[in-house]
Amino acid sequence: MKRRKATLTAAAAGTVAGVVGLGLLALPTSASSAPSLPPVGAEQLVESVLREQPPAMGGTVKVDNALGLPAIPGVPEGSALLGGGETRVWLDGHGRGRAQIASSGREQTIVHDGTTTWRWDSSSRTAVRSTHPDAKKPEGTVDPSAAARQLISTIRSSSTVAVDGTARVANRDAYELVLTPAPSERTVLREVRVAVDAEKRVPLRVTVLANGSSDPVLQAGFTELAFGEQDAGLFKFEPPAGATVKDDERKPDRNAAKDHPKPKIVGDGWDTAVVVDLPKGKERGEQDPLAMVKQLGKPVEGAYGRGWLISTKVGSALVTESGRAALGAVPEQVLVEALGSTR
Amino acid sequence: MTTTADHAAAPLAGPVPRTSTLRLVRSELRWVLRRPRTLVALGLLLLVPVAMGVTLVLSSTPAGGSGRGGPPLLGAVIGNGLVLPIAALSITMMLLMPLVVSMSAADALAGEAAHGTLRGLLLAPVGRVRLVLVKAVGVLTVAALAAGAVAVGGWVTGVALIGGDGLVTLSGTTLPLGTATLRVALAAAWVAAQMAAVGAVALAVSAATDHPLVVMAAIMAGLILFTVLGGLSALDWLHPVLLTDGWLSLADMLRDPLPTDNLVTGLLRAGCYALIGLSLAIARTTTREG
Repeated sequence: MKRRKATLTAAAAGTVAGVVGLGLLALPTSASSAPSLPPVGAEQLVESVLREQPPAMGGTVKVDNALGLPAIPGVPEGSALLGGGETRVWLDGHGRGRAQIASSGREQTIVHDGTTTWRWDSSSRTAVRSTHPDAKKPEGTVDPSAAARQLISTIRSSSTVAVDGTARVANRDAYELVLTPAPSERTVLREVRVAVDAEKRVPLRVTVLANGSSDPVLQAGFTELAFGEQDAGLFKFEPPAGATVKDDERKPDRNAAKDHPKPKIVGDGWDTAVVVDLPKGKERGEQDPLAMVKQLGKPVEGAYGRGWLISTKVGSALVTESGRAALGAVPEQVLVEALGSTR
Repeated sequence: MTTTADHAAAPLAGPVPRTSTLRLVRSELRWVLRRPRTLVALGLLLLVPVAMGVTLVLSSTPAGGSGRGGPPLLGAVIGNGLVLPIAALSITMMLLMPLVVSMSAADALAGEAAHGTLRGLLLAPVGRVRLVLVKAVGVLTVAALAAGAVAVGGWVTGVALIGGDGLVTLSGTTLPLGTATLRVALAAAWVAAQMAAVGAVALAVSAATDHPLVVMAAIMAGLILFTVLGGLSALDWLHPVLLTDGWLSLADMLRDPLPTDNLVTGLLRAGCYALIGLSLAIARTTTREG
C-alpha cells in the first residue's frame, strides 16, 4: 500500500512537472527588468549611433505586426518579412553581410560580399546577382556630430526627442530613444521608440505605437544577438547546382524614374502625405492595382470624386477612381487635403 | 496469446532485477515486432517516400517549376534528392506515423485488457511501474522504427532516383553528402522524439480503457483538434502548448546554418508531453483493479 502511494505521488509530481514545463514554454521570455545605465542625452545618443560603424555581429530579428492590414487575396499570410517571420542577420563589420528571411518551407537569402549582392529565393530556386563596382560610399566625409545635430534639429521641428529609460533587448542593455509627434502634428501615430545598445550603439529594436492602442502596432527587433567575429564563409555565395542565375536587370534609377511617375510630397514631419499616380498594372501583365484596391478599400466620396480608403492602425491610403493615390501615417482628412492641393 | 508466461517467469528466473528487466524488454520487443500489423505498418511507411520519389521523377517539371499548392517542401525535392527523406518525414509525421505509434500503444495495454491477458500481467510478480515502462519501451521502439523507415526509404530513393550533388538547402548553400546524411539522421531522431511524445499520451489513454480502438480514435481526434487550434490566430497564446505547433519547424533542418531554437523548443515540448503521458499511464495502471 505504501509503495502504491509513493508511486502515485511520483506520477502526480511527473504530471505536474510536465504541465509546468509546458506553461514555461508558453510564457513570454521578456520578463527582465530595465537595467540602470548612466544617463545620456538624446543628441549624444544619436551622434554615437551615426558615428559607430555596425560591428561584426550575428543575430535573429523578429518582426511583430498588428497593423490591421486587410487580408490581400493571393498573398499568403505570414509571407516575407511582416508576418512575424524570423530573419537571421550576420555582419562582418566591414560592409559585408548576410540576411536569411525564413518563412514556412522557404527561405530568401541575401548575401553582400563587398562587391556583389546575391538574392536567393528557395521557392523559385533563383539567384539574382547585382554588382556594385563603386560600392564604397564616401562615409568618412560626413561629420557624425554635425549630422546628428542637423538630424535632431530637423526632427525637433515636428517632434520631441528624448531618452526615456532603458530596456533589455536580446539580453543586452539598451537606451530607449523616444520620438513623440508635436501636438500640432495630425498623425495616427503616438510615438516611435528605438532601443539603442548601450555599449555598441547599434539600434536593437524599433517599436511603433499608434493612438488608441497600448500594444505596439509594429515592432522589429533582435531576439538574439552576439557581437564578435563571424564565420567568413557566411559572406560568400555560390549559386547551388540546378539554380537559375540571373543578373539584376534593373538599371539604377534612370529608367525607373521614367517608368514611374514621381511621387509628390505634401506637408512635412509626421503628417507628410505622399501623392502618386498608380501605374497601369494591366500593361505589365500583373493584377490591376485599382481592382485590388476596390476589393480591399471602403468606398468614399469627396471633392476628388469617387475613391477607396484603406485604413490601418499606422496610417491610411486613399485611391481615387482616376488612379491617383495618397498615403501617409495620417487620418483620412489629411489625405483628402493632400489630393486637393496637388491637383 | 500474449507472453504472460514470459513476463511472469522473468522475475522468478533470478534475484538480479536488472537482468529480469532486460528479459522483460526483450520479450516485449519480440512480441511487438512479431505482430504482423506492426510489420505491415512499418513497411507501408517505408513505401511512402518511395512512392513520393517515383511520382516526382515521373511528373517532374524542369527546375523552378515548383507549382503552387501541395506541401511547400515538395518543390524543393526536384533534382535535390536528399530533401526527399525530410519532406517525407514532415508529411508522414502529421497523421500516418501517429497512427502507427498509437496503434502499438493501443495494443500495449488496452489490447491486452481486451484479450483478458492484462489481468495476468497485473497479477504477475512484476511491478506495475516496471510493466508500464517496459510497454513504453515497446512503443518508443515502434516510434523510432517508423521515423527510421521513412528516413531510410527517403534517403535511398532520393539518392538512387533523384540524385543531386549533396543537399541544396533552403538557404541556397550546398551541404556535402556526409553532412546531409547527418541532417537526415538528426531529422529522423527529432521526429522519433515527437512520436514518442504521442506514444506516451496514447499509452496513458491505453491504460484508461479496455478498447484499443478508443486509443487510436482519441489520438487522431487530439491531433486534429490541435491542428485546428493551431490554425486559429486568435489563440496565439495557446500555441506554444500544442504538441503539433512546432512540427512545421522540421523544415529548419533544411536551413543553413541550422537554426536550433525552434527544434530545441519542440524537443522540450515533446519531453513535457512524454512525462505527462507516462506519469498518467503509471498512475492509472497502479490504481487499476487487479
